[in-house]
Amino acid sequence: MTLRTVLRNEWRLLAADPALRVVLGVFAVLFVYALANGMAWAGFQERTVEAARTGNAERVEALEQELADIANGGRPSSPFRDPRAPNVLGGARGARTAVLEPGPLTALAVGQSDLLPYYYDVSIYTNEATFQQNGEVENPLNLMVGRFDLAFVTVYLLPLLVLALSYNVLSEEREQGTLALTLSQPVSARDVVLAKLAFRAVLVVGLAAAVSLLGILATGGFGSPGRVLLWCGTVTVYALFWFALAAWVNGLRRSSAWNATALVGAWLVLVVVLPAAVNFAAGLLHPLPSRVEMITAQREASNDAVNQRSELLARYLEDHPEMAGGVVAEEPGLGALAWAATDAVNSRLEEVTAVHDARRADQLALVRRYRFLSPALLAQEVLVDAAGTGDARFARFQSQVRAFADEWRQFFVPAILASERMDAGVLPDVPVFSFVDEGPADVAGRAAVPLLVLGGLVVLVSAGAAARLGRVRGAD
Amino acid sequence: MSEVMTMEAPTAPAAVAAAPVLEARGLSKRYGSTEAVTGLDLRVGPSEIYCLLGPNGAGKTTTIHLFLGFLEPTAGSVRVMGLDVAAEPLESKRRLAYVPEQVMLYRNLSGLENLEYFAALGGTGSLAPERLTDILVGAGLPPDAVGQRVSEYSKGMRQKVGIAIAIAKEAGALLLDEPTSGLDPKASNEFSELLERLRDRGVAVLMATHDLFRAKETGTRVGIMRHGRLVNEMSTDEIGHADLERIYLEHMHE
Repeated sequence: MTLRTVLRNEWRLLAADPALRVVLGVFAVLFVYALANGMAWAGFQERTVEAARTGNAERVEALEQELADIANGGRPSSPFRDPRAPNVLGGARGARTAVLEPGPLTALAVGQSDLLPYYYDVSIYTNEATFQQNGEVENPLNLMVGRFDLAFVTVYLLPLLVLALSYNVLSEEREQGTLALTLSQPVSARDVVLAKLAFRAVLVVGLAAAVSLLGILATGGFGSPGRVLLWCGTVTVYALFWFALAAWVNGLRRSSAWNATALVGAWLVLVVVLPAAVNFAAGLLHPLPSRVEMITAQREASNDAVNQRSELLARYLEDHPEMAGGVVAEEPGLGALAWAATDAVNSRLEEVTAVHDARRADQLALVRRYRFLSPALLAQEVLVDAAGTGDARFARFQSQVRAFADEWRQFFVPAILASERMDAGVLPDVPVFSFVDEGPADVAGRAAVPLLVLGGLVVLVSAGAAARLGRVRGAD
Repeated sequence: MSEVMTMEAPTAPAAVAAAPVLEARGLSKRYGSTEAVTGLDLRVGPSEIYCLLGPNGAGKTTTIHLFLGFLEPTAGSVRVMGLDVAAEPLESKRRLAYVPEQVMLYRNLSGLENLEYFAALGGTGSLAPERLTDILVGAGLPPDAVGQRVSEYSKGMRQKVGIAIAIAKEAGALLLDEPTSGLDPKASNEFSELLERLRDRGVAVLMATHDLFRAKETGTRVGIMRHGRLVNEMSTDEIGHADLERIYLEHMHE
């Protein structure tokens, strides 16, 4: 009865208060704008992926045509680009673009999908340097602050909406004098505050969920119901954390101004300062090696290798005895020499990039260890993961591309070393990349701990709030 | 006021009907080193209007807040229809209605909407708008003000809505803290008549007031508080206006 009565009254108060309507309206616009922004990026990514697929098909078709022409007595379009040469067919001319499909909910959370490459051109020359660079030129400001998407609005701005609606949920009643009349009725302050916050929670979570579902509907994300559920659940739990915090602060029985200051301070610390401090600490304790130095080292390795081709070929054959004994042509051709150089470059690059990767792993480990300090970090991690635009899915993609690049090399390198010629008949046997996406259990497994911690925080703060509000007996 | 007269008499549970409606036993409330109420023994029976007199700081409002459960007694107990307020705060408040000195309402809502809300919170269930309007008009609110926003109300009009909220609850006990402080003489007289009607219905009224005249005219008993203690208690039938004023002033100059 109390709940229904208070909910009805709150609705009337909202309808009669233009300021509240303006606040809700502004946030509704922000949510819709963020969704439009995310959808624009998802659309761009889909078009890029489609273009890559078309490019793959066109390249294969062109090679088929040229190989057929040559078989019928024609000449290669260029002596240096003869598709019969395995280092050409497996090199730049025949390269395949391996693509990562946009995450199922990319429109809601762009995540790192604008920062990390979602396609690689794979050829026999694919090496660690390939994985260190991003072909896209992106606005650095976008990369620095992140996209203004629904995840951003949810993690950073939704708490402000919650606080704007809840900071004075009890203190205002006391300040305007209605609390005395309210508490003279057979209701407790705790029940009244709970009902008032429930009304606001329905508004806030309803708004966030409605815009999210709209985006999911528009982008076909309902094909991943587990991710949709995880997204909506995380938004709800995260919003509840801030409602619980507002209830706890109201239970301290201070003025509305004090509550507002305390809650904005909490927002600043938990959403801005702590995540920034964790990132800063990660950079300070585990600094990445200079990117310029890494590129210079890559170039030096490449130059050395080219200068020592013959020597390198001998070393290569020592390292790969399975390639000797008839597989390699008695007189190695230019292709074999070039491959030996390439392989040497790859080995040197692995050494150079291993340092970078190790530091990056240390940074991530530190961030993962201290993410529990901030509910914002926890929520962002789960939201981005639910959207399929987080680190884990990208790492899975990169690992599969590495495996594909190995498979590609295994297919072409023996022919290069043997100075064989290829024809159109090999094309159906050329390896094909197909990304095997993660299952709902993988995502749920990763989300379990951060969500449990977030849920635990909600329970803890709610219990503190309930205890505080339970002590509110009168209007003073 | 005619509508108010048609209200059903409040019904007390059979088990506590014979007991005093409002009862304080050895009641004390201390704030730090300040004794706001000390050893107060007070009983208000059905159909009684008990007026608590005393200067500011005498402990009148504290006493009312102790009955409401807003404050926890330092010692002693408070009972409403036999229910210990500390042990059963919600059940005891179900049997109480309260009109504070300054009735503050939701300014953006109408008097009718405020009454509907507080009446529903009080546990009367959903009352029809016509019934609520009758209660408001019965409490003295002009009919054309019923649907107006409270932000346009005078203090006296808000006070009348507060009285309407108390009436709508149909409680067996009514606590009033300077209820006529914002009312003009005519409205104060109407309020006195209203109290007499409620008394006739069996309601027990405890009213904190500075108004000696109204206490004598409306009350059935008066108690004089000073420094948190009940220093005198008498029936209004036993004394005249002049006597009450003299006794009161004597206590104030002690």
